[in-house]
Amino acid sequence: MTVVRGRDLRGDVAVDADAVVVGTGAGGSIAMRELARAGLKVVALEEGGYHRASDFDQREEHMLPMLFQDGGGRTTDDLGIRVLGGRGVGGSTVHNTNLCKRTPDAILELWARKYGVEGASVADLEASFASIEKDLSVSEIPTDDVNPNNDALRRGALALGWKGAVLRHNRIGCQKSGFCELGCAYDAKQNALKVVVPQALAAGADLYSDVDVRRLLVERGAAVGVEAIAHDGVGAAKRPVAKLTVRAKVVVLAGSAVGSAALARRSGLPDPYARLGRGLRMHPGGVVAGRFDEAILAHRGIPQSYECTELLSYEEGSDKRVWIVPAFAHPIGTAATLPGFGAAHMRSMRAYAHLAVLTAMVHDETSGEVDVDGDGEPVIRYRMTEPDRVQLAKGLVACARILLAAGAKEVTIPAVPPVRVTSTRELDALDTSFVRPHSVPLSAVHPMGTLAMGKDPRVSVVASTGEHHQVKGLFALDGSLFPTSLGGPPQISIYAFALHLAKHAVASARR
Amino acid sequence: MKLPRLPRRKVLKAALAFGVLGAAGSVVAVVRSRGYEVPEGVRKKLVGLEAWQYVVVQHLARRVCAADEPGVVTPDETDVAGFVDAYVANMAPRMRRDLGRFFGVIEQLAPAGLGMSSRFTRLDARDQDRVLASLESSSSDLLRGGFEGLKALLFMGYYRDARTWSLIGYDGPRVEARP
Repeated sequence: MTVVRGRDLRGDVAVDADAVVVGTGAGGSIAMRELARAGLKVVALEEGGYHRASDFDQREEHMLPMLFQDGGGRTTDDLGIRVLGGRGVGGSTVHNTNLCKRTPDAILELWARKYGVEGASVADLEASFASIEKDLSVSEIPTDDVNPNNDALRRGALALGWKGAVLRHNRIGCQKSGFCELGCAYDAKQNALKVVVPQALAAGADLYSDVDVRRLLVERGAAVGVEAIAHDGVGAAKRPVAKLTVRAKVVVLAGSAVGSAALARRSGLPDPYARLGRGLRMHPGGVVAGRFDEAILAHRGIPQSYECTELLSYEEGSDKRVWIVPAFAHPIGTAATLPGFGAAHMRSMRAYAHLAVLTAMVHDETSGEVDVDGDGEPVIRYRMTEPDRVQLAKGLVACARILLAAGAKEVTIPAVPPVRVTSTRELDALDTSFVRPHSVPLSAVHPMGTLAMGKDPRVSVVASTGEHHQVKGLFALDGSLFPTSLGGPPQISIYAFALHLAKHAVASARR
Repeated sequence: MKLPRLPRRKVLKAALAFGVLGAAGSVVAVVRSRGYEVPEGVRKKLVGLEAWQYVVVQHLARRVCAADEPGVVTPDETDVAGFVDAYVANMAPRMRRDLGRFFGVIEQLAPAGLGMSSRFTRLDARDQDRVLASLESSSSDLLRGGFEGLKALLFMGYYRDARTWSLIGYDGPRVEARP
């Protein structure tokens, strides 16, 4: 086991291995672990740093640059949707809110039926889901741990007779500090950083952090390694310090649906049917804030413990494609989301402790694209379709309805100018045609689908094994695999699919 | 109150796309780099912003963060511009370039689009607010999106300061509670 920070390299380095894994989040950590456990020499490369719980100081201005791509400022190319992706060992599992939902049965059936995905039925995946849930100590969140923000969702949904449930998570010893999205300072998250990467290292894998993989090496139709730049690890500027080349007969892409697709595209992989980077789903969401008389203190406690699924069906083309969960934020995130500026904005901020906030995330059918610019950096194109826009509007109205039912005195959709309503009568009369990207702040934390798996190379990039259709030994084992949105949090699906498919990468490395 | 909108003048519309701002920005840069008062001690310490950009950020922060609220810690006291300078230094080059161009839009083009003859930093507070309101409600998605991103950066500089937390009922990091 070797752990090296890129910034500590004093000269160019060349390494030979059986397999190289690009990215160390949910998918990459599992890939490195399974390959190492198979007795193979594995090198994992991570763009961000290797942080410990003691590095997470619960300060937004420090953690955003440390744990998020582009310091949390990454957006679609038209600036319409903020796209939050992780960087650092553990990837997005370090900053996510620990929600654990399996891939819905209907989604797996759709993938088999429409996209020709083989060997990924509910039964096929059961062992992988069970195994990863055991590894990550997944359990139902205790009812007593539902904080007032989540309770507003629960009370509102119950009052309306809408479907909802307490969620499952992967925490042990949670202090309920409410800082999950800034990394857990208490090491209570049972995530890739804490659980899986150490298992991989114990099995003999090597890890280089602060290393930006710039190019996949392909010779005679087979992956043979990667070229990377080690950098100083400071912010997104990434000042180079050395070149790192890893030669290996298996390359695993696990840098997220954005990062993996961008790497594939700037490497000029064969793409005979123009599928590479296409099919991007993002699960985009907008927020609605409700002001209550009583203090909510939404920033304290477990951030997301309850979901409303009244408007969520997994059937393709359904007119119910919205997942509703609480969305809290610390002051900087809240200030950035609230409309207006100056004194009026400060007046809104003064209600901070009394706000409950919900998000409506669209189980999207819009097909976006990850491309690269002249510097090889990701460019995310995503133009929300009208059916998805309608879903977003329905979702925001539903959030408002829930908050009013829970007792909010006023709800605000943070459009410009802001839309404020105090009764369901006003809500019923609301013309929601204004709801669209740019008119309301939108975020996306679940990019998927840019290297979609499937049987037919004309409509997919990798096979059902995760191996690239045209490049032998090149595997995708992250969220880019999924042919459609999941309609929910993807981490458990990514872990499980990586575990389910890692055997093919092992077999390829042994050939 | 209906917010003012930027007129769709051809020259401004062209400038709204960041991709074409480079050429205009280069020309404007010669003019705009003059006449900005930054103490020598501050100027020497700048790592991410040019001096004129630092002044623009100072003016922006004063209007965006808690403007005119009596008794509230000010953006100058929390050194929002200093924070932005340091933050920008570690931004990805592409984002840094786009942000620099956007400062140029705010300083020169946005006031002109409203028929104002002075640059943003020489306008009085009321006209600065008019410029910012026009950006926030612009018919250009890029301008609106750029303003939202800029707001986030300014608020990061402001609300990172513990003196602002008591204003909003936030009790701050609890990391000291670590077992």
